[in-house]
Amino acid sequence: MVFALLVVSGMVACFTSGSKKVDFSTEVKPILNKKCITCHGGVKAKGGFSVLFREDALAKTESGKPAIIPGDPDNSEMIRRLTLKDPEERMPYKHEPLSEDEIGILRKWVKQGAKWGDHWAYLPVKQTPVPDEDNSWVRNDVDHFIYEKLDELDMQPAAQTDPYTLLRRVSLDLIGMYPSAKVADQYLKNSDDKGYERLVDSLLASPHFGEKWTSMWLDLSRYADTKGYESDGGRSIWRYRDWLIDAFNADKPYDVFLTEQIAGDLLPNATDAQYIATAFSRNTMTNDEGGTDNEEFRVAAVMDRVNTTWESLLGTTFSCVQCHSHPYDPFRHDEYYKFMAYFNNTRDNDIPAEYPLIREYNDSMKLQMTQLMEWIRTNGSAEQARQLYQFLRTWQPVVYATTADSLKNAIIINKNVALGMRNHSHVRLKHVKLDDAAQVIWNFYSNKAGGRLTFRSDAPDGPMLASVLIEQKDGWRKVSAEMQPHTGTHDVYVIYENPSLPATSEDILGVFEWFGFIPELPAKGSPEYAARKHTYWDLLNAPVTTTPVMMENPDWLRRETHVFERGNRLTLGKEVEPAVPQSLQFAMPANAPKNRMGLARWLTDKRNPLVSRTMVNRLWEQLFGTGIVETLEDMGTQGMLPTHRELLDHLSWKFMHDYQWSIKKVLKEMVMSATYRQDSRLTEPVKEKDPANKFYARGPRVRLSAEQLRDQNLCISGLMSNKMYGKGVMPWQPDGIWLSPYNAARWHNSTGEDQYRRAVYTYWKRTAPYPSMIAFDGVQRVLCTARRINTNTPLQALTTLNDSAYIDMARHFAFRMQEGAGDLAAQIKKGYQLMLYKPIKEDKLKVFEELYQQALKEFKPNPGKTRAMAGGQGEKATPATAALVAVANAMLNLDEVVTKN
Amino acid sequence: MTKKDLIDQRLVREAEQMVMRTHTRRHFLKESAMGLGALAMGSLLGGCGGKTKAAHSVVFDPAHPLLPKAPPFIGKAKSVIFLHMAGAPSQFELFDYKPELAKMDGQDCPPSFLEGKHFAFITGVPKMLGPQATFARHGQSGAWVSEHLPHFSEVVDEVSFLKAVTTDQFNHAPAQLLVHTGSPRLGRPSIGSWVTYGLGTENQNLPGFVVLTSGGSFPDAGKSVWGSGFLPSVYQGVQCRSEGDPVLFIKDPDGMSRDLRKASIEAVNKANMQEYKDYNDPEILSRISQYEMAYRMQITAPDVMNINDEPPYIHEMYGTKPGKACFANNVLLARKLVEKGVRFVQLFDWGWDAHGDNASNALNIGIINKYRSVDKPVTALLLDLKQRGLLDETLVVWAGEFGRTPMMENRNGAQNPFKGRDHHTEAFTIWMAGGGIKKGHTHGETDEIGYTAVSGKVDAFDIQATILNQLGFDHEQFTYPYQGRPFRLTDVGGKVIREIIA
Repeated sequence: MVFALLVVSGMVACFTSGSKKVDFSTEVKPILNKKCITCHGGVKAKGGFSVLFREDALAKTESGKPAIIPGDPDNSEMIRRLTLKDPEERMPYKHEPLSEDEIGILRKWVKQGAKWGDHWAYLPVKQTPVPDEDNSWVRNDVDHFIYEKLDELDMQPAAQTDPYTLLRRVSLDLIGMYPSAKVADQYLKNSDDKGYERLVDSLLASPHFGEKWTSMWLDLSRYADTKGYESDGGRSIWRYRDWLIDAFNADKPYDVFLTEQIAGDLLPNATDAQYIATAFSRNTMTNDEGGTDNEEFRVAAVMDRVNTTWESLLGTTFSCVQCHSHPYDPFRHDEYYKFMAYFNNTRDNDIPAEYPLIREYNDSMKLQMTQLMEWIRTNGSAEQARQLYQFLRTWQPVVYATTADSLKNAIIINKNVALGMRNHSHVRLKHVKLDDAAQVIWNFYSNKAGGRLTFRSDAPDGPMLASVLIEQKDGWRKVSAEMQPHTGTHDVYVIYENPSLPATSEDILGVFEWFGFIPELPAKGSPEYAARKHTYWDLLNAPVTTTPVMMENPDWLRRETHVFERGNRLTLGKEVEPAVPQSLQFAMPANAPKNRMGLARWLTDKRNPLVSRTMVNRLWEQLFGTGIVETLEDMGTQGMLPTHRELLDHLSWKFMHDYQWSIKKVLKEMVMSATYRQDSRLTEPVKEKDPANKFYARGPRVRLSAEQLRDQNLCISGLMSNKMYGKGVMPWQPDGIWLSPYNAARWHNSTGEDQYRRAVYTYWKRTAPYPSMIAFDGVQRVLCTARRINTNTPLQALTTLNDSAYIDMARHFAFRMQEGAGDLAAQIKKGYQLMLYKPIKEDKLKVFEELYQQALKEFKPNPGKTRAMAGGQGEKATPATAALVAVANAMLNLDEVVTKN
Repeated sequence: MTKKDLIDQRLVREAEQMVMRTHTRRHFLKESAMGLGALAMGSLLGGCGGKTKAAHSVVFDPAHPLLPKAPPFIGKAKSVIFLHMAGAPSQFELFDYKPELAKMDGQDCPPSFLEGKHFAFITGVPKMLGPQATFARHGQSGAWVSEHLPHFSEVVDEVSFLKAVTTDQFNHAPAQLLVHTGSPRLGRPSIGSWVTYGLGTENQNLPGFVVLTSGGSFPDAGKSVWGSGFLPSVYQGVQCRSEGDPVLFIKDPDGMSRDLRKASIEAVNKANMQEYKDYNDPEILSRISQYEMAYRMQITAPDVMNINDEPPYIHEMYGTKPGKACFANNVLLARKLVEKGVRFVQLFDWGWDAHGDNASNALNIGIINKYRSVDKPVTALLLDLKQRGLLDETLVVWAGEFGRTPMMENRNGAQNPFKGRDHHTEAFTIWMAGGGIKKGHTHGETDEIGYTAVSGKVDAFDIQATILNQLGFDHEQFTYPYQGRPFRLTDVGGKVIREIIA
């Protein structure tokens, strides 16, 4: 990384010299950012002077005069102050003076009118012509760009690598694991261009493709199977992970892919899957800690949605705008809150049950539901049908009992969980829309006989809406009461009384989670009514898989959004409407609604400068180890400059226009390139000129990701389960990893093939993620992580050497080597080929033969150790097997095995 | 000799020590039983052995990221033990003696303390809460310490108190992040990462930055408080455990002897060397050295992490409970670790959040147990380091992430059932000892009820600047390039607290 920085800053220097018209982005902005903006930027504007926006920079400062006068550097205070001798006066204050060159650039720039230019990444993607530089090495458009730059730098690209290496490289890259033996053999038999393309096509069509790319997306969407924060309890959101796998496998166009994740719930007749896609935004944390303020953490989740949308989809760090205008990029403080307004009107509320949830009915239930809804539509109004249908699918909209106020004899349990009512208690539910409500349904538990629940409007003794006796029953349940017709929006008082119990009792007699005010089924009194109602209630209570999703508040529950002064949610500023930052407003379609659907249309508009670049850059990084812009998380002025900006734009344009947002097509173009297929050996001249491989004079050589490593070793050992989808699984991990307060959840090792599922299915607990994956730079997924940084540590060595899960793989790998292979040399040769496809070299074979002999000597006189190493008591528990397990363990630790060559 | 000559001489000496250390290490590698060093390390070290590095540039060598490096100037401290009381202890019950506050006990809080202020839980008008402790002066320095710390009161002459510490974060996670990473948001390197990045570590057979937790839970900000942020992740804190493997996966698999493990690592490295000859990628050399280090760590770590061999008087002194996960054990481990050359040891003890909304976090009930659990071990740590001659070169910091209000908490406007205080940003007390810090000193003062700092005000950045200074770094010069600008631990703040430096 250090090297990378040097190279890039060197490039800046190259750009600077020689150009006549001063370029703001590449020449002026870096000086301002480095030398001025700390004191004169978005955070501080000392002396009333800020160089962030042109209008601010040209405005009057505290001295009463502007510091920059366009066209007149000699009378511009800013230029004057750079050149003074007096350290009290000279700028930058108390820092090294600017160099003559730097002052020269600024002077020239002021002279030329002090024009602010837009940063490259904020300008729309233009169709970029392919350089005509030609060479026999070049295979496709990508290579033209790469070759041109190499030629400029006087470097030569490398030849294509051997078929074994290429097979392993492209398989790990596209599907994250090894292909079937059939696919591999087919390619190795015919490894010409046609054969390679066939291999690529079959990998792109493999169901494992989706699993690999989902792994990448889980870091961005900060997916986890737990809620985070203090107790970090479990959450059921794995259906979203499965949605991603299907979406990648189906090559869902990226614009649709994003639209469904950002606003799937707002699509007409949204399907269950489209609702589930919106769980992208529900992977935020939920704080169940007693005494915490639900509103505080709801707001934290909303802000996280904003930050994640920017960092993952727009490659921009937006979170600093929470507190002040962006110190470097063209985003103003209030624009953060305008953007937040898109996300601020949803039904989620940081309550433990994580409503709203989509309820997925199985096929037979779905059939029942379809028939029921047909009957409702025939007999009732469309609006009635819409509300009843929505209630069946989501139990929404409801009033959360935790929001009740004017509590008399009642409490909000732990201040954030549920409403507890004592005898002769009442509470208020504010501003409930009663127009269409013919029944009230509530979710609660109460096991006391003789209780009566009454609903009144406007006052505890106001007009009665409904009243019902509560049966004695254990467990959570839903009950409904018929309501008197009512119009308008009213405060509703809920009153609990139980004459059979002492009035003074301190006991909580009923615990309530929510109250829903909804229409009744139509055709009451008809012969079918009772059966239909029965079906409705069966469905409503059916135990189904649920997933937290996004869902807008109806108008009567609408939430206002205000600016938070200095980012403090308790200091509210002006009210704001949903909007994207002014500087990027040009990509907003004219008729886009001011809601998340409008936001999705802005994101996926082909004029949006950031979305396609961010994704193409990310795909490139997954294959080559480094992005064209190294800082995947930030393409703004503080990010690194692209090494091949024209290539990035060329591919980004193609992605949107030629490929119609097909991820598979962009990936295919990348892996079909000569650039990708190069040998990864490092020659001395290249080592000197480009040690970090910024310019691609060799193929990528990158350590495997945590997921690739596990999946590869499962393949090598023959243990890999091909089972797809489902709840998170718990492969072996040491005891004592989980340590959350107030949480009794435990890690229970999965059994059978679930022990050997792909890494993407591993149960992910935020505060204690699977340790062997964390050792290999897996991320916690508390917040969006746009980029993992690869490291090389002794703890990684300890993991693959000693972790029982890896020993288990080594053992099965050894069994596989023994199967029909013949003598020791043949076994090791077979093993090496299983790992890397290629034949082992003699000197390497010798190393492992020697290790085997030493191991054998140790195990022969020691049946206990032999059994422990070879596993179990069976016939395989021989010293020969134990010795081969030790060899297998060593082989799986080879650099070439943990690295993609 | 002029002062400059003296400094030059010291620099030369320091540089010589550097060379010695490296040579010793090489020697160790060659002579050690496994002889792994002969394979690759010898040749690798050739490049570094005789070189003395320019003072300011921190060179990140991916093959040897933790080799000891000389700081820009000679620091008094070589290692740091940071004791973090997660949840934030109350200054009013331990160090900041406020008789005036006692007089106001039970009265409504004056509006001037509430207007324009924000609290985590206090709403409306809370009552004032007098100190829930009696105080006395101790030692020659006459420092005020409450009855809750009877052992610690005997060693006050070893420490410097900072009584006017402030912060701008009133929630636990952001405030903890600010203390340890210089930013309330996630993503910056922790101080231990900065220090191991800048100085490497003395003992290559142990992690350079070790984290120990107690109190039954991780700190509120989770593992991010010992994360490496944008620094290479080799600099993140390694959590050591008092149950199970002390470091995850440190134990050889069942059935594998040490000899066989040695042989297998040798085989891996031999094959990797062949690979290096073919591919010429320095990353392969780095992997070779990481495997060697892993092997040595396997020998050293379990031994250091085992407190059972300590003599009974030491156990008595610390109040340890061998076999259990507790703060006292961790404090003893911290001493063992710095003794073995670990650069930075971070302890987090969870459970100090004295809100008084239940008995376990009531100032006069549950929190009393917290005082007891730290009093003896912390005192023992100072005395033990001193008797081993290590206190001068070990900087010990004791801190929370913020202070507590002089008002009693009234969550949702109702009196809390137990005595407790809300989070407070305007004044709290921490202390530092050893590593060139003044003995028996107090810096900073709060107003007569301890609401706000009136003199000697310092913040997290100042404390970080001071820690770095004691280790030999100018916090303004110690930077890392990231996202186009040099980042430093202290962001744009920080001033070394000269008043407490001996």
